[in-house]
Amino acid sequence: MAQRLALQRLLWLPTRGPLASHGRAFGTSAGRRSTFNVQDGSDFQDRVVNSPKPVVVDFHAQWCGPCKILGPRLEKLVAKQEGKVLMAKVDIDDHTDLAIEYEVSAVPTVLAMKNGDVVDKFVGIKDEDQLEAFLKKLIGA
Amino acid sequence: MPPPPGQTRLPDWDELKLRVRTLIASHRVMIFSKSYCPYCNKVKELFSSLHVEYYALELDVTDDGSSIQQILAELTNQRTVPNVFVNGSHIGGCDATFQAYKDGSLQKLLGDNQITEPYEYDLIIIGGGSGGLACSKEAAALGKKVMVLDYVVPTPLGTSWGLGGTCVNVGCIPKKLMHQAALLGQALQDSRKYGWQYEEQVKHNWETMVEAIQNYIGSLNWGYRVSLREKSVTYLNSYGEFVEPHKIKATNRKGQVTYHTAETFVLATGERPRYLGIPGDKEFCITSDDLFSLPYCPGKTLVVGASYVALECAGFLAGLGLDVTVMVRSILLRGFDQEMAEKVGAYMETHGVKFIRKFVPVQVEQLERGMPGRLKVTAQCTEGPEILEEEYNTVLLAVGRDACTRNIGLQTIGVKINEKNGKVPVNDEERTNVPYVYAIGDILDGKLELTPVAIQAGRLLAQRLYGGSSKKCDYINVPTTVFTPLEYGSCGYPEEKAISEYGEQNLEVYHTLFWPLEWTVPGRDNNTCYAKIICNKQDNNRVIGLHVLGPNAGEVTQGFAAAIKCGLTKELLDETIGIHPTCAEVFTTMDITKSSGQDITQKGC
Repeated sequence: MAQRLALQRLLWLPTRGPLASHGRAFGTSAGRRSTFNVQDGSDFQDRVVNSPKPVVVDFHAQWCGPCKILGPRLEKLVAKQEGKVLMAKVDIDDHTDLAIEYEVSAVPTVLAMKNGDVVDKFVGIKDEDQLEAFLKKLIGA
Repeated sequence: MPPPPGQTRLPDWDELKLRVRTLIASHRVMIFSKSYCPYCNKVKELFSSLHVEYYALELDVTDDGSSIQQILAELTNQRTVPNVFVNGSHIGGCDATFQAYKDGSLQKLLGDNQITEPYEYDLIIIGGGSGGLACSKEAAALGKKVMVLDYVVPTPLGTSWGLGGTCVNVGCIPKKLMHQAALLGQALQDSRKYGWQYEEQVKHNWETMVEAIQNYIGSLNWGYRVSLREKSVTYLNSYGEFVEPHKIKATNRKGQVTYHTAETFVLATGERPRYLGIPGDKEFCITSDDLFSLPYCPGKTLVVGASYVALECAGFLAGLGLDVTVMVRSILLRGFDQEMAEKVGAYMETHGVKFIRKFVPVQVEQLERGMPGRLKVTAQCTEGPEILEEEYNTVLLAVGRDACTRNIGLQTIGVKINEKNGKVPVNDEERTNVPYVYAIGDILDGKLELTPVAIQAGRLLAQRLYGGSSKKCDYINVPTTVFTPLEYGSCGYPEEKAISEYGEQNLEVYHTLFWPLEWTVPGRDNNTCYAKIICNKQDNNRVIGLHVLGPNAGEVTQGFAAAIKCGLTKELLDETIGIHPTCAEVFTTMDITKSSGQDITQKGC
């Protein structure tokens, strides 16, 4: 049993790289590789839950003022981490099921995810120092 | 001590009888029981074994339990428990119930195909507006399994919106915000007189305002979703319609269909704006459904109608600097106090809104596409042969609203509606002619179309159904406010209705003009704001109607509505000391009566 699993894991890895081009990403050229918009439930499963790297998930909404400030700020800092952490953006009106599953009430809500588990979280706007600490903790831990 | 006027507090017996009847009528199986009674347990076990849900009221631990037992004895000639009813029919005690089961008559009453299928939900509510959401949350809080369906059929121009109903999306909320935008424009004008100096020309950007308002509405839509989830109410963004008794079909945006059953249903589908039925109306005209999210400034606008929707919209559009005309077929604000209605109109007219009276549009043509485009309106005089033609950028229809009751399968399950207006007649417990179907909100025949009324009715209904309450919604002395440029607040009778109900000689009307202090410095409209109260001379000069035309009319009226509920009299008002300087204080010092004929024109301070 263990042998078969090990074999499966070996066969899996090459085809599931985070560089698979799929979904719109934006921002600076560094940002383009580390930030992406979640397309649907299975995209979230693939690129966030099953991601080998830790991912910060930014739940936001079109109608939310603070989200428009936090988003770019967080993206910039994620890009600075040189690929050690990725950022997934989820519009809660487009992906309400996902937002409900992760119990999002207010926006912005940011989750820190590692190996499919939520290891950290914050709600509301944060300054650069606080965000930097949040990211370092996620990468380091 | 007689109950204060305006309240219908019935003696206990009648209230209890009603309560008993409601319990019998609103539960498929109703068992009046006592917790220690073995025969009652036998009967409950029988229904459980048939997978039939029942509602049992334990008379030994209920308030008025023995009175209820007496009422049952009167109703059924049976003094004992268990006393069993199925779908409103009286079966009897334990022996009678088992006999009915043996000979098959019990199953017949239950309906054959439902023996093995319990309902999926306790309560399904069709409509996620003010009434529907309030009812659902209250029912869920009382431990029931609740589903809410909400679906917005897009307007002819394609406009749609999220959860929350008319008030949140295309009614009270955006209306008050746009009204505020207009008032701020006026405040800017006044500000120079108060010493503010600025060089820039002040202009209004429609898109900025709409974006800000829609962002706020978006947060409300989300808030409602979260609160439904928190209260464990199942929400479907689907169009609901009845296909069988106790069963609805739900169709979502993608056309996917699901079916759901419930013991009880509440209709809360609200209304949508009416069109005129003339060439060009659906293709080129907008309604309030479209106005609040219109992505471009409407420009020169013709508002058709004389409802509060028409006047409020015309009012804020003019306040934002647009060229606005209102086309009225006959009177303004039908159903409201006409003296006040005319004053509302007169103020609008002296503040830049044009009125065309006694005309109706007969055709709307498009001269040029655009955002906005150019439209040509042809109108006919209602009293003669004259025809009018005029060009506008936008035509806003506000000629009334129709209840959304025609296409939800009501005829399939036998719910009667008023064919003339599509509204649903209900008894004083909001029940339709079908025992398991209730209705609340704007669709009720003969009741006020206001958010707080729907919310109150929804909450009390849930409490009566599941919380053992017998409190009914009080529709008397409900305060309202029309948010026209000069706001009009009222509570109680319009003067005409008071006269026809009580007789002019039995009434005393006190009135006064007033000048808000804040308007003195900028030199605005003296002798325009107006307040009046209508008192019943035969009942201690009880205040039965209160009307105020002035700034912040809603804030002023709310407190007096509570006073009226407590039985406010002229004497009590006179004894109340006013807060100075405010507008509301005029109600504490009203001396001049209409009957005296004295002049109420204000001269000095």
